[in-house]
Amino acid sequence: MATKELVTKVWIEDGCIVCDACETASPDVFEVLDDSCVIRPDALNMEFTKPLTDSIIEAAEECPVDVIKFDTVAGEAPDAPAPAADAPAEKAVPAPAAAAKAPASKPAAASEPAKKSAAKSPAKQPVVSVAGDPDPAIQALLRAATARGGAAGIAASEDGAGLAAKAWDRKSAADLPPDARQAKVMSAAKAAAKDGVTRRGMLASSACGVGWLAMAGTTAVSGIAFGRFMMPNVLEEPDPKVRIGPLSYFAQLPPGGVNNETKLQGFWMIRVEDKLIALNIICTHLGCIPSWLPNDRKFKCPCHGSGFRQTGINFEGPAPRPLERFKINVIDGIVVVDRSKKFQYEKGQWDNPDSFLTV
Amino acid sequence: MTMTGLDLLAAGDSNAIKDLINTLCQPHWFFIIASVAMIVFLVGYRTLTKPAVALAGGLAFTAFYVLSGFDSDFLSIIQKPDNVPITMMIYLVGFFVWLAFRQAAVNDQNMEEGKPLLEAGSDDKVLVWPDLVYTELIALVLCTVALTVWSVILRAPLEQPANPAVIPNPSKAPWYFLGLQEMLVYFDPWIAGVLLPGLIIVGLIAIPYIDRNPRGNGYYTLKERKFAITTFLFGFLLLWVVLIVFGTFLRGPNWNFFGPYEFWDPHRPAALLNINLADIFWVQWLGRGIPTESFGMLPHFVVREAPGIVLLSFYFFILPGILRYTVFRKMGNQLGFVRYMVMIQLFLWMAFVPIKMALRWTLNFKYFVAITENFLNF
Repeated sequence: MATKELVTKVWIEDGCIVCDACETASPDVFEVLDDSCVIRPDALNMEFTKPLTDSIIEAAEECPVDVIKFDTVAGEAPDAPAPAADAPAEKAVPAPAAAAKAPASKPAAASEPAKKSAAKSPAKQPVVSVAGDPDPAIQALLRAATARGGAAGIAASEDGAGLAAKAWDRKSAADLPPDARQAKVMSAAKAAAKDGVTRRGMLASSACGVGWLAMAGTTAVSGIAFGRFMMPNVLEEPDPKVRIGPLSYFAQLPPGGVNNETKLQGFWMIRVEDKLIALNIICTHLGCIPSWLPNDRKFKCPCHGSGFRQTGINFEGPAPRPLERFKINVIDGIVVVDRSKKFQYEKGQWDNPDSFLTV
Repeated sequence: MTMTGLDLLAAGDSNAIKDLINTLCQPHWFFIIASVAMIVFLVGYRTLTKPAVALAGGLAFTAFYVLSGFDSDFLSIIQKPDNVPITMMIYLVGFFVWLAFRQAAVNDQNMEEGKPLLEAGSDDKVLVWPDLVYTELIALVLCTVALTVWSVILRAPLEQPANPAVIPNPSKAPWYFLGLQEMLVYFDPWIAGVLLPGLIIVGLIAIPYIDRNPRGNGYYTLKERKFAITTFLFGFLLLWVVLIVFGTFLRGPNWNFFGPYEFWDPHRPAALLNINLADIFWVQWLGRGIPTESFGMLPHFVVREAPGIVLLSFYFFILPGILRYTVFRKMGNQLGFVRYMVMIQLFLWMAFVPIKMALRWTLNFKYFVAITENFLNF
């Protein structure tokens, strides 16, 4: 078998005069319609065009307006037109294309990636078919999509893809197939936009800037409004100081006694030996409210089972520290509890004379 | 004299059976039984997931559940509108675990015999229109009907406005948070409420970056992924589902443990005197008082908590290195340093939860390190 150029892709530029010459030369590839000439769907597949290389070149030469263009790849010409399956090594599109575009002085180097890519992905050419779909047009389109995009996409990560892209970059847009031309024009437009300020870019960035400014403004205004909201003119909350009754009433509590009547005010009145204390009802674990269990002589939280002695010391369950005591004092014989001042055992504050009344 | 459950059944003594089950439902026994059951299931999954065996298991559980319903205390638990989803959860978890392991069993068998996997050649792509959209429409309609019927039949368990003098006892979280509430019993709020949930979420996110083993991708298997699946199931079934079951069936008034057939008596005595590692070490082992003096540069609480600090430092900083060259040698080689360290820290934190729960259940153990002065309690 001799090495020669094989046609992988053929297309028709604008300017066809509908002369029938191409269909005469290569009827399998070209089809002349009433007002134009098209490539037959089958011929979008390079495995189809390769064996027909001679007739395609002939058609291109015979075209009076020279609108038939084709891409070639160096390959081993089969002695006889062979089925596509016999040439799996040339199935990856970009790598052979790179080989074709490479300068003739470096044929070995150029064909290297082609071989590699072929060796790495011998089975990667997907066989696409819609089972049971008899429409030959759909079948042909699927095969074409596979040959052009599918295999190329899969092979894009192989070494050959880079070379192919470079080779296509060097060509002028007029020599490229329509899809590659489109990509080239788009990337050129992008590059141009990058270099200078285009009108579109200017408008876009202005809109962006206005948007960000608007967002910053809105955030700032709502932040100020929120801050204002957090500092109301009038704060309706109960006076932290509660007058709960005469000292003589609570002095009647026996040692160890717990008065549950003040629970709604947020504390228990408890007599611990000769001290009267106001114990915060909020559990130090997660803020539930324990219940006083007189039989067990303990406070027990219904949420996670923390237990506190009647003094407020934690001894069971997860609470990490004892209950807090409130400031308590007597004004004119009336017991006053100040819930804004707390005394914590672990900080040694229970010795503070404000934290208890001696009775 | 001891009697087995079968003897009791034969004798028809339902109270004795209930007492036995109540005893077995003490948290440490329940957890041990659940762990053993999980291991047995993972070992015998090829037999146990056979449709007939699995169906028999499901029917046996249903019979047990229905018979339990004749007990008024159990019935009052499962009848609560709050707890209806729990029954569904038990059945759904059971069904989906079976479904996954059934396919894993078939696949593992096929792999050994060189047959194709269940998933081989299956194209699980579905057309969005009409297949997916129709499926979603039907699901939407069915869900709406089910929720409507549910909310009409069972009244929403709403209560009177909050009142600090009248506290629901026990106060339970929504069913899906019961596992979290259970963890809060054993750890300080910032650990159980912030750190551990954060670790669960971060850990789940990190799995694809830690575990780059391609085996098991796209097909069910247990044989090829024993460690990964066992670890995940332990975290999911035992440290989440079982904790929800604890919270539903076993936690009663004052957040004490009750048997499933036990009357929820709020005045039942329960002595749960907490003990810290410092108490055990200094008082019980060394027979001296808890140190209150500082030692050189070390403040007194560091001296006091030295045993716990040493133990936890060993657990979180030395143990990963030891495991790296013993149990997890092969895995450590595969993962590399960073991935191994992330994996082992997540693993040890997960193991920390049942360790501390077991210590609480058996010893009333509270803290390894209790620096309440600075809110550093572990």
